[in-house]
Amino acid sequence: MEDFIGAIGPILQSTVRNATPLVFAALGGLFSERSGVVNIGLEGLMLISAFAGVVGAHFSGSALVGLGTALAAGLLFALIHALMCVTFEADQIISGTAINLLALGGTGFLMVVIFGSGGTSPRVNGFASVAIPLLSDIPILGKAFFDQSLLVYLMYLLVPVVFFVVFRTPFGLRLRATGEVPEAVDTAGVSVARMRYYGVALSGLLAACGGAYLSMGLLSAFTEGMTGGRGFIALASLIFGRWNPIGAAGAALLFGFAQAITYRVNEQAIPIEFIEMLPYLLTIIVLAGFGGRAIAPAAIGRPYRKE
Amino acid sequence: MTDGRGPALRRMLAGAAGALLFPVIAILLSFIIGAVIVLATGNNPLSAYAALLEGAVGDPFALGRTLLYTTPLIFTGLAVAVAFRVGLFNIGGEGQLYIGAVTAAWLGVSLGFLGPVAIPLVLASCIITGFLWGSIPGVLKAYFGAHEVITTIMLNYVGIYFAYFLAQHPLRQKGPIPGTETIDFASRIPTISFALGRANYGFFIAIFAAVVVYLLLWRTRRGFELRAVGLSPGAANYAGMRIGLNTILALAIGGSLAGLGGGVEVLGVYGNMDVPFVANLGFNGIGVALLGRNHPVGVILGALLFGGLSSGAQEMQFATDVPLQLANVLLAVILLLVTATKLVELIVGKRARDFAAGTHLENERGL
Amino acid sequence: MAESVAEAPVVLEMRGITKRFGPVTANDDISLVLHRGEILGLLGENGAGKSTLVKILYGLYHPDEGEIFVDGERAEIRDSKDAVERGIGMVHQHFTLIPPLTVAENIVLGAEPRRGVSLDMDEAVRATEELSERYGLNVDPRARVADLSVGVRQRVEILKALYRNVRILVLDEPTAVLTPQETEDLFAVLKELVADGLSIIFITHKLGELLGVGDEITIIRDGRVVGTVKASETNERELARLMVGREVLLRVEKEEVKTSGEVRLSAENLTVRADTGEEAVVGVSLEVRGGEVLGVAGVDGNGQTELAEALAGTRPIEGGKVYLDGEDVTRLGAAALQERGLAYVPEDRATKGLVQDFALYENNALKTYDEPPFSRFGWIFPKIMRRRAAESLRAYDVRPADPDARAGSLSGGNQQKAVLARELSGEPGVVIAAQPTRGVDVGAIEFIHRQLLEQRSEGKAILLISLELEEVRSLSDRIVVLYAGRIVGEVGPDATDEELGLLMAGRGADEKSA
Repeated sequence: MEDFIGAIGPILQSTVRNATPLVFAALGGLFSERSGVVNIGLEGLMLISAFAGVVGAHFSGSALVGLGTALAAGLLFALIHALMCVTFEADQIISGTAINLLALGGTGFLMVVIFGSGGTSPRVNGFASVAIPLLSDIPILGKAFFDQSLLVYLMYLLVPVVFFVVFRTPFGLRLRATGEVPEAVDTAGVSVARMRYYGVALSGLLAACGGAYLSMGLLSAFTEGMTGGRGFIALASLIFGRWNPIGAAGAALLFGFAQAITYRVNEQAIPIEFIEMLPYLLTIIVLAGFGGRAIAPAAIGRPYRKE
Repeated sequence: MTDGRGPALRRMLAGAAGALLFPVIAILLSFIIGAVIVLATGNNPLSAYAALLEGAVGDPFALGRTLLYTTPLIFTGLAVAVAFRVGLFNIGGEGQLYIGAVTAAWLGVSLGFLGPVAIPLVLASCIITGFLWGSIPGVLKAYFGAHEVITTIMLNYVGIYFAYFLAQHPLRQKGPIPGTETIDFASRIPTISFALGRANYGFFIAIFAAVVVYLLLWRTRRGFELRAVGLSPGAANYAGMRIGLNTILALAIGGSLAGLGGGVEVLGVYGNMDVPFVANLGFNGIGVALLGRNHPVGVILGALLFGGLSSGAQEMQFATDVPLQLANVLLAVILLLVTATKLVELIVGKRARDFAAGTHLENERGL
Repeated sequence: MAESVAEAPVVLEMRGITKRFGPVTANDDISLVLHRGEILGLLGENGAGKSTLVKILYGLYHPDEGEIFVDGERAEIRDSKDAVERGIGMVHQHFTLIPPLTVAENIVLGAEPRRGVSLDMDEAVRATEELSERYGLNVDPRARVADLSVGVRQRVEILKALYRNVRILVLDEPTAVLTPQETEDLFAVLKELVADGLSIIFITHKLGELLGVGDEITIIRDGRVVGTVKASETNERELARLMVGREVLLRVEKEEVKTSGEVRLSAENLTVRADTGEEAVVGVSLEVRGGEVLGVAGVDGNGQTELAEALAGTRPIEGGKVYLDGEDVTRLGAAALQERGLAYVPEDRATKGLVQDFALYENNALKTYDEPPFSRFGWIFPKIMRRRAAESLRAYDVRPADPDARAGSLSGGNQQKAVLARELSGEPGVVIAAQPTRGVDVGAIEFIHRQLLEQRSEGKAILLISLELEEVRSLSDRIVVLYAGRIVGEVGPDATDEELGLLMAGRGADEKSA
């Protein structure tokens, strides 16, 4: 019992750390999907940003510069996705898959070109933990929630901000409308293409924050394929949270918790493989309509062609 | 007067030319982009591509390596193509392949006492487990309305972790290396000839699978239904066909093909299932299928191109300074471009749209 | 009224508008004039070019030739934004509303009131309420659009335009989805609007509609203006002649056929749900005998689609029974019904009747692909399918009669003939024809009518479901009227317009006699 209470703090801290990249990417996916563009490329967006961040930090010695290069890479790849899906009317699922493969192949290629070999990059200066005075002194919770890196605090901030933007601003109304009935947005004199570019671009920037946190917050180096399916768990969070920022963040925390306990669970009791499956299984269950169906934006996946 | 051979033949040729339009443009553009990348690394694109070609088909050993890499992609490409013909996206090839692979890794050892007789039994089992696994997203779609894109994506990871669990726990070999026990050589798919290196008869199993898929889709009652459901669920339902059943079958058949591919990899190449096991064969199968316009013949050609690129890249890395990962970049760019209707329109004009039919799912709906 | 309108200032003029799509000229040198406070009717058959014209006006298409003047000033309308800025609003045939959003959100979309960086929802609700009250539209700004009826949704569309201060409102086939009562309400609203100084272009293919509400009527045929008449000085016959281009035989010659008397298709207390889950057909009972055509009349969306699909076995039946030649076939499904001799011409040939990307020979075998000689032991024989298809395509005058042609490459009329070729060549005992002539050219309409009557002469039982009252009246031996999913009355083919109209409005015999 003693042990159990003593473990809560570290487990919560680990939960927050594991959930942070998921929350970022899920919020990113939210912007894209609410605008009607499926983004199964979150995995690739995170991966390329994680890599770009390390490259930036490596050559400048500054984590902030690394965040900048991560954002730039995430934005670039997101714009490629938008260019394909919106302008060239390519299939969104295919484009997203291609983005994932491009990030995987591209980072592998650039690892060799830039660092001379694949595998793991040199260590870089990441974002150190910054304890918030007073708040971090709260027993158990303080250390878990308020002794984290700056990116984690940015994530706390972004959840309500994204909620406000999506549900309380004209931009959000247009975004949601674009994902539901693009024809209506068009006839209202708003450019569907522009809204979708915004949506996808924001998804790139937010996923980039997640990628940067992976390689410069959680770790301090880039490892090939280090996202390890986190982009898909973020997608799962988005669906599990029913395309709502609060819901998505909640789901991401749940999945982060599942990851946190894989490090502590007794292998004999539950094999970790089953815990690692959990996010994916839960999403399937939600999609199948058990416990209230998850309904996606209506126009998602369809290219919009002006007559 | 319409019975004459002339119009039919012309239509076929025009159709074939049209079908090649999107893939050819995607391949050309990706090679141009690749050339720019090679230039940026300070190498000569021409010599890099020459080395690439050399490494793909330059000698029997290279050719054998190409066939080796091509084989699983034919299976996963077919897994995508069959579903696509029925109007469904099967992004689950990755997981389906793992399920087949772990089946083979398990039965290959436990039926090993049968010697070569085990091979067909094991492969048949892979087809069955792949079929069952593939039917899960089908059932979820048919009875619960869960979109197959998301469920197959999610099931990839469920399948991979499940296979890893089996490989790590009940089937784990003794010793420090994670993975299953090794299958006896007698129960493995034999290699074709010494000159071709590790290329094995699995390639011919893949070709055979493509022929079966062709006959199934275009020469059987079931295939007629599957294609009708794929092209127009409304009309298929109107004609009394069962949408749900055909949906389940399409994804299950896809699963059985990818599962067979996993089995062939284990029995033909690796002899066991390591942890981690091969990655991205399922995802690259999507590119193969789309490049091949979801036709079995096209899938074979697409898989040969993908396999050849991966194989040739090894020679390219050896002969020049260009990292072999360039091949993966080229494959990704091809996939990125192969459905870009508007891009092709920009290049060849409005007629492009007539040839776009195989690149998009018309009845695609919300996820 | 007419005089005062003609004196009012011209708010819109379209001059010499021409629009081509490849070899097809959709609009050929079309000109029209709209005055302030006027309701201008734009009348024409399906495919005459009305929709193209208004899409040009709304900036969705760009004309190849011609000019548009708004308030006497030349207007370049590149997109819908330009149109709205010029004060032109449009209510599309298919509403462009966003179901999960509220009425107010839908209305302000694209022109949102702001408070700081956020959307001023209170102001949006207030503005919606104000407009709604001013024109008596009676819409709740906070309601979710998904929960509203079709009639109310249309009013939301009108509000959307009014919120943007439009002075020219274009309504594209606004009554197609409305009940007669809702139509009357709409006309009342339109009168309010023109009284307030708006001008309205009202597009329709229904002859009678414009006589009551329009000031002037411009008739379009084959992409050309063939005449402009004053609503007060014309009649249905003249409009019909202008619209179709010849005297229309409003009656098809129908030979006397003695019904065999034996009931071939019947439904008992049938209840069917729509895709939305609502009960679309409620307790319907009907009988069709050999040698007769039973017509089902009604306004669109009153359960016709669901009724046809349920009888044909392509939609599950919630309650009640269906009998085919005395056998209970309620749960058998489409395939079994086909085998028992039921032919079904579905209302939506594009997505149901034909697989657009299949060749004609495959479409011809769409229901018989699994029977000899097309199939044995699970295999199919495309060669035999081709040969059979070539025969029946020629017999039904499908052009081109090429079995390898893709179905989607044919015109609407030829597609429908291809459907008939498949359905009728199987020697069916019962034919269900749902909207068999919708979107089909006049020549094909006559062909299709002849084919259906021929089936009747051969003693087949025919259930004809159509929105075209004239079609139902001229082909049927008996007519039942469907309203809100129920049969509200049965009349003979000689029933008056008024009689049928009342029934279609849901006012049954009881009220009429009261």
